[in-house]
Amino acid sequence: MKGPSIVFENVFLSLGNTRILENVSFRVGSGTIHCIVGANGGGKTSLIRCLLGQMPHSGRIAIDWQAAPVTGYVPQALNFDQTLPLTVRDFIALTCQRRPVFLGVPRAQRELIDAALERVGLSGKSRFRLGSLSGGERQRVLFAQALIPEPSLLVLDEPMAGLDLAGKEILEEAIGAFAAGGGTVLWINHDIVQVREVADSLTYIDRRVLLDGAPAEALASGAALELFPTLVAKRPAEQRASAS
Amino acid sequence: MSELYDIPRQFLIDLADRGVIHYTFLYAFVVNGFLCAIVIGPLLGGIGTMVVAKRMAFFSQAVGNAALTGVAIGVIIGESYTAPYFSMFSFCILFGLLLNFTKNHTKMSSDTLIGVFLSISLAIGATVLLWVSAKVNTHILDTVMFGSILTVDDTDITVLLLTTLLIACVALPLYNQMLLASLNPSLAHVRGIRVKLLEYVFVLLLTILTVACVKIIGAVLVEALLLIPAAAARNLNRSIKGFVLWSIVFSTASCLIGVWAPMRFEIPVPSGGAIILTAAAIFLVTLVIRMTVPRFREASI
Repeated sequence: MKGPSIVFENVFLSLGNTRILENVSFRVGSGTIHCIVGANGGGKTSLIRCLLGQMPHSGRIAIDWQAAPVTGYVPQALNFDQTLPLTVRDFIALTCQRRPVFLGVPRAQRELIDAALERVGLSGKSRFRLGSLSGGERQRVLFAQALIPEPSLLVLDEPMAGLDLAGKEILEEAIGAFAAGGGTVLWINHDIVQVREVADSLTYIDRRVLLDGAPAEALASGAALELFPTLVAKRPAEQRASAS
Repeated sequence: MSELYDIPRQFLIDLADRGVIHYTFLYAFVVNGFLCAIVIGPLLGGIGTMVVAKRMAFFSQAVGNAALTGVAIGVIIGESYTAPYFSMFSFCILFGLLLNFTKNHTKMSSDTLIGVFLSISLAIGATVLLWVSAKVNTHILDTVMFGSILTVDDTDITVLLLTTLLIACVALPLYNQMLLASLNPSLAHVRGIRVKLLEYVFVLLLTILTVACVKIIGAVLVEALLLIPAAAARNLNRSIKGFVLWSIVFSTASCLIGVWAPMRFEIPVPSGGAIILTAAAIFLVTLVIRMTVPRFREASI
């Protein structure tokens, strides 16, 4: 499986009188992990929604599919009534099954769902009510649904929000394994330390593109000094730690 | 169609004649009510789960109130005032679509907008109906609000059966998509679901369902039967399967008991009221179970 490459070219987005995105241009390579970083309200989620065809943008967004055009999408959060009788299995089956879920989930589908839950460390939770899970566990369920059917592009909108350390490691591993298999990952991520460790490339957006490139180069630029002062200040300490 | 309905009708009448079931089933109007209850119960119980999940509890009441105006328009244009289905369906469908269109274009929350439309529809309906009251018996207001399951005729049964068929053909294949669209529209869109179109489809189905049931159980009681069995089922279940199944069971049981019990025990309660009181009793039992059984315990705040 080979993930698609994506080109954003002169993307503009205005909602009402507010300019959300301005002349955004960058490229996401096939089979890479590309992180989008930036301050709150900078237009990251809006950009993702432009890619998904949910925002009235102008400019060009082209996806060059190398395999079946299947997108796995992990939204920021589920805004639902937590008392709704809906198990984890019900929810995932809703996203990938045509037969009404109340008529049951076929065995083959159940196995797929259980396998996806295992990949995010939630084996045995398929019969739990979705509303009874913690916020972090629900994030992992959202990630699990994105894996069925096997996507070639994963679009992640802050999937680590609310996750504990163990949860972060599990998702990081799952994302890494997906990219290692050739899939493309477009990932909104606030954790710049994590971005530096796992991303092949990053784009910093605050209405327009302020940084773009491989993390090592982009974060060494002059602009990065202003955007991530704490990260840059940490570097000498990190160097001492690695030297010792 | 009448001959077709005669088969179950005659079967029940024969059973009553042989003393197998209560003698009141010798009357065709009781049997008609019973047959409607068998169809309406599962229909409202099943769709009710979607209404609860989509938080559209008061939508059907707003449509039911709009039916008042539909009846008035029917009287004005010369339709039969006991069954002005053309006017009711036309006006209520327009009303439902307008409500959904307004919701999509204002981004107001559903409950606020439905509340506004509900009040407007009641005011217009009552005003116009009183205006035409010189032409018809004003008890028609009671019929629209509270229905009368024991006065249904073959036309009402046909409308109900066609509505049931339509809903089964449309809502069953789209059930998952509609539910997912209400949980997260953005995710649903990525999954290839046409979210806005499905919203309109659901509103249309709910409107047709409400109008088809208005004459039989009334605008107020349609809403009650959409909500109470689903709410009772929700009290006891953690999966969609249990939620839908028990909602259908509770709704059907409420309808059948509501039609049968007042006649069997000679209780002076109208069938519509008895149906809802039965549903309410079931809801109370599930509520007590939920509050007392440890497996349902949850945070109090």
